Amino acid sequence: MSIDINCIAVIGKQNNPLYIKNYSSSHPDLKYHYIAHTAIDVIEERVLNNPKLTDAYLGLLYAMEDLAVYGFMTNTRVKIILVIAVTDNVIKDADIKAIFTKVHSAYVSHVCNPFHNLDQDFVASKRFSNAVDHIGQQNSRATIDV
Amino acid sequence: MSSSTAAKQYKSLGDDVWKNKVEKINAELFTLTYGSLVVQLIKDYEDYAEVNKQLDKMGYNIGQRLIEDFLARSNIGRCTEFRETAEVISKVGFKMFLNITPNITNWTPDFKEFSLLLEENPLAEFVELPDDAVEGGLWYSNILCGVLRGALEMVQMQVEAHFITDTVRGDETTELRVKLIRFLEEEVPVGED
Repeated sequence: MSIDINCIAVIGKQNNPLYIKNYSSSHPDLKYHYIAHTAIDVIEERVLNNPKLTDAYLGLLYAMEDLAVYGFMTNTRVKIILVIAVTDNVIKDADIKAIFTKVHSAYVSHVCNPFHNLDQDFVASKRFSNAVDHIGQQNSRATIDV
Repeated sequence: MSSSTAAKQYKSLGDDVWKNKVEKINAELFTLTYGSLVVQLIKDYEDYAEVNKQLDKMGYNIGQRLIEDFLARSNIGRCTEFRETAEVISKVGFKMFLNITPNITNWTPDFKEFSLLLEENPLAEFVELPDDAVEGGLWYSNILCGVLRGALEMVQMQVEAHFITDTVRGDETTELRVKLIRFLEEEVPVGED
C-alpha cells in the first residue's frame, strides 16, 4: 500500500490549528491551510446534519483536483485532517483509519505531558512532530522496500 | 559466586512479592498524578532548585513510611554490607513499588557509592521538559532521591542520593547516584523540620 500523504493537520475544539505539516513538494503550505479550513466547515456541516453520528471516523470529506481530504473527529472535538494525493489505486478505508489511529495516539501521548498547556495554540513538542513525521513519511513517496 | 546467587535470590523474591503481595493501580493515573504534582509545585515555587528540594522532602517523608511496608511484605533480614543493600533496593524495592529493576553500576573502589541506571521510569512516562525547566536544573523524578534517603535512614544508614542524568532532560540515560555517608549506630535520628 503506498498512500501518498500530502498533509496531516490537527485542529483543536475551537477550530484553532494545533499542528499542520506539509509532506508534499507539489503544493505550498498555505494551500493546505485553506484545505484544512474548508475541511473544518465540511465537518461542521456533516455533524449538524447528522446529530446521531457516533463514529469518530468521518470518511472522505471532499475531493478537489488531485487531492482527497479525509476527516476524523474525537468526542472532545479535536479534529484530524488527512490530505492525500489521488492515485489510481483503490484506497481502502481501513488503511486511512489506521493512519488516523496512529496520529490520534501520538496526540494522546502528547496531551499526557504534564507540561503541555491545553489552552496553548500550537503544538510545539518535538516528540509529537517526530511521531507524526514518521507516519507521514512512512506512507508517502518511496515504498520501494519489497 | 555467592553474590550472583544472592542477586538471583533477591530477583525471584522481588518478582514473587510483585506478583502476589502487592495491590496495583493504573499506570496512567499514577503518571498523570505525579505529573500534575510537579507542575503545581513549579507554579507555586517558581524556582526549579526549590522544587527539587521540595520533591526531595516529600520523598523523604514517603521513604520513612515506605520502608515499614517494604520490610513487612518482603520479610527480608538485615543486610550485611552496602553491596547487599544495593541489590535489595534494585531487585526487591524498586520492583515492588514501580515494577522496574534498575541496573547497579559504577561502584567506587571502597564500595560506598553506586549508581542506579533506570532503563524506564514510570514517573516520567509521556513527559517532555520545556527548555526553561532543563536550563533551570529541574530533576523531574527527584522524589526518588528523597525516598531512598528516608527509607535507608530508618534502617540506620545515612545516604545521599542525587540524579546525574535524566532522559527527560534529553540525556542518554537516567542515572541516580547513591552514596553511603555512615551507618547510624545507637543514635536517635534527627527529626526533619
